[in-house]
Amino acid sequence: MSTQHYEFVRARTCAEALALLNEAGRVSRPLAGGTDLMVQRHKGQVVWERLVDVSQIPELRVIREEGDAIIIGAGVTHSEAAQHPLIRQHLPALAEACHSVGSPQIRNRGTIGGNVANAAACADTLPALICLGATARFITPAGEQELPVGRLVTGVNRTALPAGALIRDFRIPKPPAGARQAFIKIGRRQAQSISRLSLAALGRLDAAGKVAEVRLTPGACTSRTQRFDQAEAILLGQAPSEELVRQAGQAAAAQMVAIAGRRWSTAYKEPALAAIVERALRRIFDLPGEK
Amino acid sequence: MRIQFTLNGRPTTVDAPADIPLLHLLRDYLELTGTKCGCEIGECGACSVLLDGEVVNSCLVPAPQVEGRDVVTIEGIRGPDGGPSDLQEAFIEAGAVQCGFCTPGMILAATALLAKHPQPSRPQIIEALSGNLCRCTGYQQIVDAIELTVRRRAGKEVQA
Amino acid sequence: MSTFKVLGKPARRVDAVEKVLGTARYTVDLKMPGMLVAKILRSPVPHAEIVKLDVTPALKVPGVAAAITSEDYVDHSNWGFPVKDDYMLAYQRVRYVGDPIAAVAAETEEAAEAGLKAIVLELKELPAVFDTQAALRPDAPLLHPELSQAESEPAGDSEFIEVKAKGNLSDHLIVRQGDPLAALAGCDVVIDERYSVSHQEHAYLETEAALAVPTPDGGVTVYIGDQSPFITQGNLVTTLGLPAEKVRVVQTRYIGGAFGGKSDMIYECAGQAAKLALVTGRPVKLTTSREESMIASYKRDAMVSHFRIGADRDGTIRACKVEAWADSGAYASMTPFTSWRAAIHAMGPYRYNACAVDVYGVYTNNGYSGAFRGFGNPEVTAGSEQAIDELAEKCGMDPLEFRLKNCIKLGDTLPYGQKLEESVGLEACLRRVRELSDWDRKRAEYARQPAGRERRRGIGVACFFHGCSLGAEGVDDATHIIRLGPANRFQIISGLTDYGQGSRTVFALIAAEASGLPLERFEWSAGDTDVSKDCGPTVASRSTLLGGNATRLAAERLRQQIVNAAALLLRCDAGAVQQDGETFSAGGRSVALDEIINFAREMNVPLSASARWQMPKIHWSFTEGRGVPYVAYHFGAQVAEVEVDTRTGKTRVLHIWAVHDIGRVVFPEGAKGQVIGGIAQGLGYGLLERVEFQNGYNTNPNFDTYLIPTAADMPAVTVEFVENPLSFGPYGAKNVAEPSLVPTAPAIANAIYHATGRRVRHMPANLERVLLGRDLVDSVVTYQDGVCERARCDVGGAADT
Repeated sequence: MSTQHYEFVRARTCAEALALLNEAGRVSRPLAGGTDLMVQRHKGQVVWERLVDVSQIPELRVIREEGDAIIIGAGVTHSEAAQHPLIRQHLPALAEACHSVGSPQIRNRGTIGGNVANAAACADTLPALICLGATARFITPAGEQELPVGRLVTGVNRTALPAGALIRDFRIPKPPAGARQAFIKIGRRQAQSISRLSLAALGRLDAAGKVAEVRLTPGACTSRTQRFDQAEAILLGQAPSEELVRQAGQAAAAQMVAIAGRRWSTAYKEPALAAIVERALRRIFDLPGEK
Repeated sequence: MRIQFTLNGRPTTVDAPADIPLLHLLRDYLELTGTKCGCEIGECGACSVLLDGEVVNSCLVPAPQVEGRDVVTIEGIRGPDGGPSDLQEAFIEAGAVQCGFCTPGMILAATALLAKHPQPSRPQIIEALSGNLCRCTGYQQIVDAIELTVRRRAGKEVQA
Repeated sequence: MSTFKVLGKPARRVDAVEKVLGTARYTVDLKMPGMLVAKILRSPVPHAEIVKLDVTPALKVPGVAAAITSEDYVDHSNWGFPVKDDYMLAYQRVRYVGDPIAAVAAETEEAAEAGLKAIVLELKELPAVFDTQAALRPDAPLLHPELSQAESEPAGDSEFIEVKAKGNLSDHLIVRQGDPLAALAGCDVVIDERYSVSHQEHAYLETEAALAVPTPDGGVTVYIGDQSPFITQGNLVTTLGLPAEKVRVVQTRYIGGAFGGKSDMIYECAGQAAKLALVTGRPVKLTTSREESMIASYKRDAMVSHFRIGADRDGTIRACKVEAWADSGAYASMTPFTSWRAAIHAMGPYRYNACAVDVYGVYTNNGYSGAFRGFGNPEVTAGSEQAIDELAEKCGMDPLEFRLKNCIKLGDTLPYGQKLEESVGLEACLRRVRELSDWDRKRAEYARQPAGRERRRGIGVACFFHGCSLGAEGVDDATHIIRLGPANRFQIISGLTDYGQGSRTVFALIAAEASGLPLERFEWSAGDTDVSKDCGPTVASRSTLLGGNATRLAAERLRQQIVNAAALLLRCDAGAVQQDGETFSAGGRSVALDEIINFAREMNVPLSASARWQMPKIHWSFTEGRGVPYVAYHFGAQVAEVEVDTRTGKTRVLHIWAVHDIGRVVFPEGAKGQVIGGIAQGLGYGLLERVEFQNGYNTNPNFDTYLIPTAADMPAVTVEFVENPLSFGPYGAKNVAEPSLVPTAPAIANAIYHATGRRVRHMPANLERVLLGRDLVDSVVTYQDGVCERARCDVGGAADT
């Protein structure tokens, strides 16, 4: 039970939010759905003196097409993202990732921007956003900046977001025609599960049936969520086969160990990661069902 | 800080600290104890309320965020005569209530579901309840109660 | 079944309306004017000497009204049954993380927390032990050096006892039949395996709370959601030094679950709140956060068991030798009794020629263990029903067929010498569950799954027995009063508790059945030591049997009184009165119940009856390990069908079929709910749940990391009942509340084996154990100041390139 006190102020526009977040002499944090901040509050980890409510700012709530990209406001909730036709059509891996977060109650409040800014090791949206090449656009007193999400989130609970900045939205290029996506999450139970391991994947074949493009982004297994290029390299230019996806799975597991080292959970994550990489690739490349 | 919002259909104004969760506001400042506290970290759903029709964990909603919005608690779920609604009746009939502590949250989650999906499948019902923990019933009769309500609303079954 | 008026027919739970409306108030919802908030200072370390404890600085904190320690109680607040080894507030020592040390009452929660922080506490950490084997070593640090262990050493039989009762050994319970080692040596087929189960958290949705109100006579009334108001009262009398007339315990009318978990720590909550109320002269409410409840409250004991079971080549079971070690944690609590029940049930419901069971309860510095639904039976059955499965396989027999061949039947004698003369429905349960689950076809089909298939299905069975009520441990009786209330309804006054399991409704149904009056004429009551009679604790699934019988007798007597009053009105002999529901007639005239009631009120004719019912007396020899431990048994069998993802270790339970012999179905929706609810807890026990003690720290003290089943984790459950009436049960009823949990976890484990060929002998059968065959221990846990930091996802913290 927390008894740490703080102020609450509502911002109606981005400009207002920025001013409040950067007001001198007061440590302020943006508040959207509160699903992370209020848990921190309960645990006595209030590090802010003021919460700036950005949940009603219209620019943070958008979901729209912009040329060959989809723009998703940082304040879009997991529920909204999981159900929106644009996201379901063009970015199904993200829709599924958002759908896998928490529970209906959490999904109705938690936002994509919050998920990214909190940068939990097991954050569900990170693999999908990074796989899809999402760029986070944020506003600072010095002006607008952007960073690929894979560079914005630098480690567990660590981002390169400057102090006083506010993520406004994410720009996600529509994947090329013919690309297929998959998102797989392993949790300890069937619902409301922290991710034990996850994977967002995208792949595309060329006219000759060879892998023209593939992106593999595992989650909850490295401190910085990233594309596993060594596993991807195995697949590029090859015709998909049972043996090929098995090798890719092995390579992904090996790359995980190379990045994160051998840890107490590695004995589980190695074989499990290989399995979900195989399964995602089978789905994407239309290989016959798993055994 | 003063917070003005619609609570169970009525305009409500309350003075409370800005840094408390909605759950605390409801239970201690508005004397509405039907919404329960089970974990304070948004994992059990006992504190579920409707916020603009969406089911949320009130333990994780900062109280001032309900300003100008619509909140429904278990006290606001009633039949036309002020007694139990058809959903609440079905809970009793189907054996969905044991200790009753999860029950308000379950009813709110079910209410939110049925408002969006009047004819949900059983898996849809289960998913809608997946954020509400129950330790007594094993859930089956709760799902049965919601299915019973759906059938009755569709005119497929007469209320006993 | 159709010969009954109300029993066994659909019925509405009598206390459900307020729950669905949200108007039911639980202890945590109660308020009183002038109420203070209480908070507890708890030990941040697993084992330490209290070098200095000074609460006076707390009194200087604005808003703090009182601060107390063990010195404010009689005998340093020492309490505990059957072993008096615990304290309402710690005396000289703390023995587990969460052990209560001091209590503060203040105007606000914030002031109370500030008060706790101001307390001067100096602890000198002592060496600690965290598993039973380490705790039994001769050089192990002792948790209770002052307690003599001599009484718990059984006389004679020394050749069976390898561990002397001393040191951290809290209890040693035995069963003996013949010479099992010799018999095992002669068996064609022997299983020799070890199993284990983890600590399980009750996870009642309502955490512990108590509201204490001082009374003008210098006494105190405590409102509390406990399982045994008279035990609470007894403990308050002992530790507060007040006479019983000045201590009243009123059960809150609605209690948010218990499952055995509100009969120990909650007595301490009562004692802490009560003392603060007496000191301040104001109402004091104590509540607990979920973390506090999970850290401080007792658990189901973790248990390690070693089974040796032998059979003939043709599958006839002959002998077993079982040893099990129960982690009692810091205090004995109910572990001596759970260990006893575990010993009685350890060999399972089968015929043996020779048997030896030894269950040891051992102190450790983990959080302490106590009563939890099943009370020792789930712990041993998780091992025994896997061992039986393994034995069946070694004999080349189908596991269900093997059980049918060896299971206890009517007229058989249990290994400890008890002959079962009635109500043995195990065979019927096994046959019916085999039918319902399509067992034979699925066993064959799933055995033919291609070797390379990744998601594999399996089907497994487990059966069990469960002794009804307290057993030979103690006095087992209940006294109920049924008296006329103001609105012409009859109040059933019971000292037993309904914390959701539905006993109120069962009593009302039995009262209606026995009196012939409609269900709506009966009202329930909550326990109140000023009003109810002591019926003993609401444990051991005894409410229907004890309370049901007391209700039946009282209702029959009440009916007789109504008939007598009717006879006066009708001017005839009582024997001539005919009853049809609420109408009583004779000689062509009739009179309605309301008329009779009004008449009775005017004429002071009594319409109130009470009855006491006691279990038949039985005897168990703790030194011989033989006798009659329970007068009757519940029997049941469950089949689980699973799909295991052999690449991720994830088990999905597809369906569970449960057939239970409960004697007689009284309240169908209630009985079904008890079975499904028990199965949910059993599923959690088998797959998901584990209190992750590490070096004595509970590292998963909330629902994000202590995982109980959600609605999405539950399979479809098919429940059926076999009715083998018990001659002295109310209308033949036995019980249902606890037993449903017992076979679920091993049924699932057996199904996992069928699906994968992998035996998971250690529960929960989590992802790692199913995938790798072993658990992985999170080695990245740090503790500071009693707070545990866990790297949940284990991805490392260093920046990666």
